[in-house]
Amino acid sequence: MRIVDLVSVSVSFGKTKALDDISLQIDTGERIVILGPSGCGKTTILRLLAGFITPDSGSVSLGGELVACDRRLLKPPEQRDLGLVFQDLALWPHLTVGGNIEFGLKARGLPRPERKRLLDEALTLVGLRDYAGRKPAALSGGQQQRVALARALVLTPGLLLLDEPLSSLDLELNIRLRHEILRLHEKLGFTLVHVTHDRDEAFALGTRVVVVARGRIERDGSVADIRKYYQTGAPRAE
Amino acid sequence: MTRRLLLGFIVALLVGFGLLPVLSMFGRSIFVDGQLSLAAYGGLLQSTRQWTLMRNSLALSALVTLLTVVTGTPLGILLGKTDLPGRQFLAMLFVTPLLVPPYIFAVSWFDLLGPDGRLAGLSGCTFILFSIFLPIPMLLTMVFLRTVNPRLEEAGRLCAAWPTVLARITIPLILPGVLLAGLLVFLLSFGEFSVPNFLRFDVFPVESFTRFSAFYDFKAATAAVVPLAGVTLILLFVEAVFLRDRTYLLRPSATPERSPVIALGPHRKWLFALVTAAGFLIVVLPVVVLVSRSAGHGNYAEALRRAGGSLGRSFAFAVGGASLLTVFGFFTGYLVQTRALRCWRAVDSLTVFLFALPGIVIGIGLISLWNTPRTNLVYGTSAIIIIGYLAKYTALTSRIMVTQLAQIPPTMAEAAQVAGAGWLRRLALIQVPLARRGLLAGWLIGYIFCLRDTDITMLVYPPGRETLPVRIFTLMANGSPGLIAALCVIMIAAAVVPIGLLWLVSGLRQGKVVE
Repeated sequence: MRIVDLVSVSVSFGKTKALDDISLQIDTGERIVILGPSGCGKTTILRLLAGFITPDSGSVSLGGELVACDRRLLKPPEQRDLGLVFQDLALWPHLTVGGNIEFGLKARGLPRPERKRLLDEALTLVGLRDYAGRKPAALSGGQQQRVALARALVLTPGLLLLDEPLSSLDLELNIRLRHEILRLHEKLGFTLVHVTHDRDEAFALGTRVVVVARGRIERDGSVADIRKYYQTGAPRAE
Repeated sequence: MTRRLLLGFIVALLVGFGLLPVLSMFGRSIFVDGQLSLAAYGGLLQSTRQWTLMRNSLALSALVTLLTVVTGTPLGILLGKTDLPGRQFLAMLFVTPLLVPPYIFAVSWFDLLGPDGRLAGLSGCTFILFSIFLPIPMLLTMVFLRTVNPRLEEAGRLCAAWPTVLARITIPLILPGVLLAGLLVFLLSFGEFSVPNFLRFDVFPVESFTRFSAFYDFKAATAAVVPLAGVTLILLFVEAVFLRDRTYLLRPSATPERSPVIALGPHRKWLFALVTAAGFLIVVLPVVVLVSRSAGHGNYAEALRRAGGSLGRSFAFAVGGASLLTVFGFFTGYLVQTRALRCWRAVDSLTVFLFALPGIVIGIGLISLWNTPRTNLVYGTSAIIIIGYLAKYTALTSRIMVTQLAQIPPTMAEAAQVAGAGWLRRLALIQVPLARRGLLAGWLIGYIFCLRDTDITMLVYPPGRETLPVRIFTLMANGSPGLIAALCVIMIAAAVVPIGLLWLVSGLRQGKVVE
């Protein structure tokens, strides 16, 4: 089943064209990585999917339902059934780890016992059971990443968007968290859309890689295809 | 060495202009004929009048604070975060009462409601001060909203609608700013003299001024302001402990994207109508009343004849005061930001304390220290007014500069240093040009506060050197209502027109100053 369908989408910020007539289809359960240099438009794709921006032209459909088209927002972010881990994680500093994860459950009006059960499950999932009462600032970088993951996954979204959340970590922690993400994907079965500028990370996390440059899709294929593409001399991104 | 000397000189001036007058005033009130005596304070605890004054002062400040925060915070969110039409115009409209001396709006409402007591006492003072101080929580809410990392709200938007995100994410994040606004409003209301005096409501500043001006009872006047200073100190201590580290800098958000805007959808029209109606009632109506009352009978010609000189002096003192405040603010801001001297925290606390202190206290302090034969060279000239402005308002320009300088990467000055530039050259060629927006914003705010100052100027102005706010205040006792209204309109124009013009030409719109 197709979970994401972008058709001829263009987005501009002032005179800068961030996305130029791109189309992209993603099937349920896929692990897709959007790869490209800074400013190429990859984060714009995620923000488009999340509903923070609307396309100037073209359409965005999620799970077969049209959610935005031609500058019109048809479905707001909170109704899109997706999770997003931001590049800077965006953990709410005034809430505890538990408060951060529980926020979405409260917003959906779940009863307290249900919320507690789901919170415990999410904390266990990311190995942070003993940290529920701590503030995010009291955690290490890796622990913060896991809180952000738990917050995005606690609502069991069908689609998980990751906006370069590993880019600021050292290599060892980066690799450890890649494994964590793969483990969670296998266990929960969500569709993963991961954005990065790091080829190794892309090849480790994706089953399919989409190369974006200057707001356009340059290449779309399996990890093996994209490896070959780079080995045989892909055009250098500016 | 140059840096330490110059900054030390600025600190010494600040101490001489602000701290020593207050200490001198206090010292003179506890010594009688060279002997320590607390006689002036004897009545303070025993007299029921003192307790009445305290109750009135606290009730007025608490009510004004509550109303302004409860109204100003949602107003700030509407004007700073939604797609409400005409947000910039409406924000400027609501700010107008803050630009002029507070009693101007009291005069207007008194004209409108009549002299039969409908605008009097606690309720009348509360309403007038509410309309004047409403922009403080409104503006601080708007400014602090810009400091919230948009990602934090977007993360909330993924699973909740805007009302929940506002209640659980945005407002808790800007809460220190809202509390700071409440504290500011409380202190300003607590020290406000002109409105309670006009509406005959007994509070400490009125008592102190009356003791001083009517009876020239210096010790009793000082004793009456001690509770003001005491409450100010307590509240500033609370601010220093709980808020200062969280509101010290108005940091820009970590990401360059604009803050997410709330689409009001079907609520847009009625909210616009509501906010516009409130702006009309609070700001436009009082001004229209003044304009209509002042029309005809040659009121404006008479006003200019009787107060033209005061108008010119107001401009001159405001321009001079604002310019010196900008210089003082730059150096004290630089000192606090770079911690160049060990006393940086004390200097910061001193400027904030002096700003929070009622103008009446600073005015009496200046008289206490400077009104001597040896210092009459200063006290007998307009310089004493400017000294009062520097003492009271340096905190404003200093805080703006701390914020502005914090946004300049240290590497800018370091690159110049590596290239061989000394401290003054780095300051003049790198830091001052990069901080120009902050300097301009500081100058504008200094101009507004100097122009509207009534309390300090009224106490210290040399004979024949009164400013327009003081002239209007003194004429209110025997001037015709038409003449007073004309003077008030001129005062409003004197504040609003130059600020509006500068705002338009300087590109300060879109809130670029506090970024």
